[in-house]
Parts: sequence; C-alpha cells; structure tokens
Amino acid sequence: MNHYFNEKISLIMSLLIINNYLLLSLNLPQIITKINFLVFLLFVLIFYSKNFSENIFLKISFLFIIFISLGVVTDGWDARSIWLFHAKRIFYENTIFSIADNYASFSHNAYPTLAPAFAASLGKLVGHWNEIFPKIAFSFIFLPVLIFSTSLFKNSHYLIFLSIIFFTIGNYLFNGWADGLLAAYFCLSVLMMYLIIISDDSHYKNNIYNFIGFCFFITLTLIKNEGLALLSIIFLVTFLMLIYKSQLSKKIYSLIILSLSFLPIFLWKYYCFLNGIGNEFINQDIFTNLFPRIFSLSNYADITYFLYINEKFLIPLIFFLISFKIKWNRELFIFVSSIFLLYSIILYFIFLSTPHDFAWQLNTSAARIIKSFNFLLAFFGLYNLFGLKLKN
Amino acid sequence: MADTKIKILFIIICILQLFYLWQYRSSFNFEILTSSFKENAGITKAVSPEIIETNEILIKNNLKEFNLSKGFRNSHYLYQRTLEFNYPIRMNDLSEYSLFLKEEQIPSACNILESGKYLKLVKC
Repeated sequence: MNHYFNEKISLIMSLLIINNYLLLSLNLPQIITKINFLVFLLFVLIFYSKNFSENIFLKISFLFIIFISLGVVTDGWDARSIWLFHAKRIFYENTIFSIADNYASFSHNAYPTLAPAFAASLGKLVGHWNEIFPKIAFSFIFLPVLIFSTSLFKNSHYLIFLSIIFFTIGNYLFNGWADGLLAAYFCLSVLMMYLIIISDDSHYKNNIYNFIGFCFFITLTLIKNEGLALLSIIFLVTFLMLIYKSQLSKKIYSLIILSLSFLPIFLWKYYCFLNGIGNEFINQDIFTNLFPRIFSLSNYADITYFLYINEKFLIPLIFFLISFKIKWNRELFIFVSSIFLLYSIILYFIFLSTPHDFAWQLNTSAARIIKSFNFLLAFFGLYNLFGLKLKN
Repeated sequence: MADTKIKILFIIICILQLFYLWQYRSSFNFEILTSSFKENAGITKAVSPEIIETNEILIKNNLKEFNLSKGFRNSHYLYQRTLEFNYPIRMNDLSEYSLFLKEEQIPSACNILESGKYLKLVKC
C-alpha cells in the first residue's frame, strides 16, 4: 500500500470538487467540466480497485447509499426548491453565476453553490436532467471525508465511525439536502485545524494535511451559509487558544495561509451583494425581529427544547462526556467545547431574529441544523478514545 | 479477539442501520431505481399532476415564458414547483400567456388557448 494513499485520494477528490466549482465560474466549454467529473469518477474507481479488501465495509456501504439514492426521487422541500433547483439552473446555463437575475428568489439565490455545481456537472456528463440521479453527486461529495477518516481509525474503530455517520447524518447521506455535508465537513475541519495548528503532533505538520485542511475549509464555506459562520468560529477559537498557549507568533503564518480558504466564499458573497441578492436572515430587519423575542424566557426554552432535547443530540453528548471522562485530553476538550458553545450562541441569535414565524422556523430547521453538533460530539468522543495519533 | 468481536458487532449494527435507512427513512422504489438515468424519470412521484400538466401544456404550445394566476401564486407548493419544474421555461410577469387553475375565473379580456384536466392556458 502506498504511503498516504487514502490521504492523497481524499485530497485529489476534494480538489476536483472545488475545481468543478471553479470551472463553472469561468464560463469554459462544457467538455472541461465533463472531463473533470470523469477524472473524479476515475479516482473513485482507483479507490475501489486498489486493494479492494481494505476498508471494504466503507466501499460496500457507499455503494448501498448510491443504490438507495437512485431509488428515491428528489422530493424534499429544500432539496428541490434550493439545492437541485440551483443545480438545474447551472446545468442549463453552464455557469454558477446564473443566479444574478435573482429568478425564483424563494430558492435563496445567495446560497453558495458548490454541491449544486457538482450535481450540474453530473447532469452534463449524463446528457440530460431528471428528478433522480443528479442528487447522487451530493453523496459523492461525502467521499473525501469518508476516505480521509480511514486514516484516523484502525479497521474495527472505523466501523464505529461509520455507525456514527449513519446515526447522526442518516438519510441526509442520499436525499439531496446539504445539511449532512455541512455536518461532515464541519467536523473534519475542526479536526484538521486541531491537528495542523493546535496539536503538537509533528506527524500532522506534513504538507499533505495542510492541503487537505485547506480544501475542507473551502468546501465547508461553499456548502451552505452556515459554513462561513462555522469556519469563522473555528478560526476564532484557534486564534484564542494560540494566544492562551503563547504560540501565536510561531503559528500565525500557517493560520494566515489557511485563512485564504475564506476567499472563494467572500468572492461569492461580494458577487451576490453587487447583484442585490441578499440573505433573508441578515438584513436591516434583524433587530426588529430580535427585540420582541429576546426578553421572553419561553423562547430560549423552546430553542433549547428543539435543538437539544432529543436522542440524536443527547446520545452523542453523553458519549462525548464519557469519552473525555475515560481519557482526559484537556486541549481537545476545550477546543471542541468552545466551538460548540460559540455556535450555540449564534444559533440562539439566528432563531430569535428569524424573519419567519418563530415556531415554524424551529419546527422546520432545528433537527437539520443540530446534525452538525450531533456528529461533532460523537466523532470527537470516538477520536479521543481511538484516534490514531501516528500513521501505522 | 476483542477486536474481532467489536468488528462483528459493529458490522451487524451498520447493516441494521443501513437497512433502517433504506426501509424506513427513504421512499425507495425499484421502479425508480431501474429508470434512474432516463429522461423525465420519476416525475409522477416527485410532483403533483397539476405541475406535470403545466409542463405538458407549456411544451405543447412551445412557450419560453409564462405568467401565473393568483390561484397558483397563493399556493407555495404550486408556485414554487411550477417555477422549478418548468425551468428553463421561465415565469415572467409580463408574459401574455398565463396558467390558471381549472376552477379559476379568467379575466374577460383573455382567451382560453388550451384546457387541461387541472388547468388552462390563456392569452391575455
């Protein structure tokens, strides 16, 4: 087995997904995006064919996920009205900038389009559009994360990791929604930042991890708007921890280089701003919506109930706490907990200032949004106990 | 030995989870699977018959743009699905061709071009 084989495959796939987005922003001939997608599929094939028995359960599970996805039509509200509709627009217009006219504004044209762009390219490769196959491109975007994670756990523990994915992300692996992708890339971005910058493990100072981290950060911000908030929190907590550890001057250069990963989302948001395409949650009415709700304790209770009082959150939380009780890693615990707490504060703020009906907003989005937390806590519970510190 | 036991246990758990996702968390259908790469596959499962009829009428009349009646606009479902399902045929408020629901009254200045099972296309 090649040294760093899974890391390299993960990096190349991640680069090809980002490259697809870049190509669709340059208005290049369709053949180039088709070739890009074909190369991605080639690397999927290489991953499957090279030593087939290694990580065999991941390989079979992923095929099964694709199998389910191809047997289901795209019928979820967000999947149709937002993600696959953006993909359809890119498919017909051959550019991610097709949203500049703000047509069908209900589809939230300001949302980033990395995943829809990848689905559009699959459509180009097939030659037409339909209600079924384009969403498997969303499942393909999970691959870099799933493959990279094989290098973090030995075989039996990797099965626990897969079980956590199925439990926390579940049907979002194949239904064409972006929340599962957000959870997966958020979690791995937290890990990459920890390994590259915070931890003192010299193994992860290898450039390949810097590149993978950089790609995961870009992907995180280009999946959904929340990705920008999440990556900002990761950087803020890292910055504060470096100050606390008196290592800021030593690592500031790496942090600045990694912060270039914000560039694509900033360019996207600037383009939306130039075209008058706004975000419904962040506008001049934000405080008008916020103030009537901010002083009512029952609103906080409702948010807490919808976000945290359910088995999908409580089981990962208990597992996380038990894991750190068994094996105390102060630095990792503070890092993950701080990110969790800061994002919680932002979520309370977002829910309290929603322009929609408060109860409706909670009812329709809390269970999706909390997936990022569920996966974060369960993943780091597992990583703390069984994560490989050094390459075998 | 313990490692093998963990492996077997979690293989069983993962298989059960995948089975659960397949059977209870998806509307999986073998018919959809076998036609998953065909053009127009799955539309009857994805949207309601009214939406499919909008597309049939627009294509039959070779229209590139259309307008929508109040009946369509007052329903989130009909409005959003009509727009996204018919793309790249686009809605335009200035288009003289409008889609009305079957039960809707049409303005006196408009002529019915085609009447379907659920809706009608009128020119105003």
